Amino acid sequence: MSYKLEKKDFKQINRRSLIAFQFGWNYERMQGSGYLYTILPQLRKMYGDGTKELKEMMKMHTQVFNTSNFVNTLVTGIDLAIEEKEGVRGKETVQGLKVGLMGPFAAIGDSIFGSLLPTILGALAANMAIEGNPLGCILWLAASIGVMVLRWKMLELSYREGVTLVTTMQHKLSALTDAATLLGVFMVGALIATMINVKVSWAPQIGDLTINVQNNLDMILPRLFPAMIVGVVYWMLGKKNMTSTIAIFIVLVVSVALSALGVISK
Amino acid sequence: MTIALWQILLLTLYAGYQILDDLGIWSSLAQPVWAGLISGLIMGDVGAGLLIGGSMQLTVLGVGTFGGASKIDANSGTVLATAFSVGLGMEPEQALAAIAVPVASLMIQMDILGRFCNTFFAHRIDAKVEEMDYRGIERNYLMGSMSWFLSRALPVFLALTFGGEVVDKIVTVLNGDLKWLGDGLSVAGAVLPAVGFAILLRYLPVKKHFAYLILGFVVTALLTTVFGNVQLIGGNMAGLVEGFTGNFISLPMLAIALIGFAIALLQYKRSGADLTTTGSSVVREEVLGNNVVTKQEEGEILEDEL
Repeated sequence: MSYKLEKKDFKQINRRSLIAFQFGWNYERMQGSGYLYTILPQLRKMYGDGTKELKEMMKMHTQVFNTSNFVNTLVTGIDLAIEEKEGVRGKETVQGLKVGLMGPFAAIGDSIFGSLLPTILGALAANMAIEGNPLGCILWLAASIGVMVLRWKMLELSYREGVTLVTTMQHKLSALTDAATLLGVFMVGALIATMINVKVSWAPQIGDLTINVQNNLDMILPRLFPAMIVGVVYWMLGKKNMTSTIAIFIVLVVSVALSALGVISK
Repeated sequence: MTIALWQILLLTLYAGYQILDDLGIWSSLAQPVWAGLISGLIMGDVGAGLLIGGSMQLTVLGVGTFGGASKIDANSGTVLATAFSVGLGMEPEQALAAIAVPVASLMIQMDILGRFCNTFFAHRIDAKVEEMDYRGIERNYLMGSMSWFLSRALPVFLALTFGGEVVDKIVTVLNGDLKWLGDGLSVAGAVLPAVGFAILLRYLPVKKHFAYLILGFVVTALLTTVFGNVQLIGGNMAGLVEGFTGNFISLPMLAIALIGFAIALLQYKRSGADLTTTGSSVVREEVLGNNVVTKQEEGEILEDEL
């Protein structure tokens, strides 16, 4: 292939990927058309307008593709490195690579950027917000800009490092994921202790003795009741046919009922 | 007080924008806390907005969207709950349980509809590929953003325009005949974060890190109690003793997070060392911006000095 990708090509792909990679998400092709859209100008330069090679590659790139929105350019970079060298002969390699990489990358990208980061930052921001402090939101925005910078750098990194990247990053990422999940679990523990503000208001009378249940619970361990609630919901979520939405509604109904009966209060 | 037309329009625009932000640039403006802050600003009560947004954020803490599955739309729920709470004078925690959660789960259907509509554009793109019409491909692709935008903007607009009266009636009933239900919804609002945490624990490797769950919980539970009681004493002292100006703050959550971060850092170093310790030098890989730099740290290992 004669065309060699330049700085401005990477800029264009990054711009398109960052803003619009999932605008076309649909049930049939998922991110397929998004993939074609992000690299269309570069494909045209590489294969030339109106050639049958270009049409062949365009058709290939609209096929089903679905990975984490945060790391999609890692696949794109490797893909372009191959296409630049092999051209249309690399079609099958590229297709195999796309399908092979989208799964593992989805797992890594979604767990770090789609779940852990929102958990930790969301917990902090929500905690501050409930006290009326918007600082946590700003903090999150700043962290997001950091993520954008990272996403911007990924394309060239993977283009240059090509296939070796997939193997070298693995160790690094598993150590990082391990540490991050630890932090996540720790933070959930901390949040259970502060963010669920509900008390037992039930005070049974035995003869002329009134038992203050909440006081007794506090003597065992402060915040034990919220921990028990989380435990029960956790157990409930392990049941068959239970979704998070159903769980939310069950908690809603049970809370209202117990509050009406005077068992729990704010 | 009602919701003015300009407020409806701004909230509608935000509701449409946030999903595009969430899908693309991910600036965090599409998170429920931000939704609360922004709708709070538009409605003129930032405190209520932050409370609803923050609580909603905790409720969906563990709900991620993986592989294109639809999740409950906490943002649209937050926007509507904040608007109605401030506009019609509903208690924020009631609005959270009575409006934000039901709206958020109803909006799942709109998410599915949005994704479905885009299939239409995908087929148009196929046709344009056949014709080699590059502009057409790009145009049809970007049109997909409209189905996303409308899937959130349209319901929010309709609800804000026509829902006011209904919500107004609900508020009257909840503070009158059905006071038990109103109070119950407030309590439910306080319990809902528990679901978020439980979902999250289902997703995280709890069994592996169970010790840290206990640690995080107990440290925070004890400190919260201590800080809370000190604050209480301080408040009472200030009421009794003239000129008493002790400044007692509540437990800073960032401090707890930093403890967690320190432990995580230790774990990271440990698991990194496990993989690459070779003789007397520790090889450490660092991702510095766009480059994988392999660093050789020569010299003594700390353990040797002891």
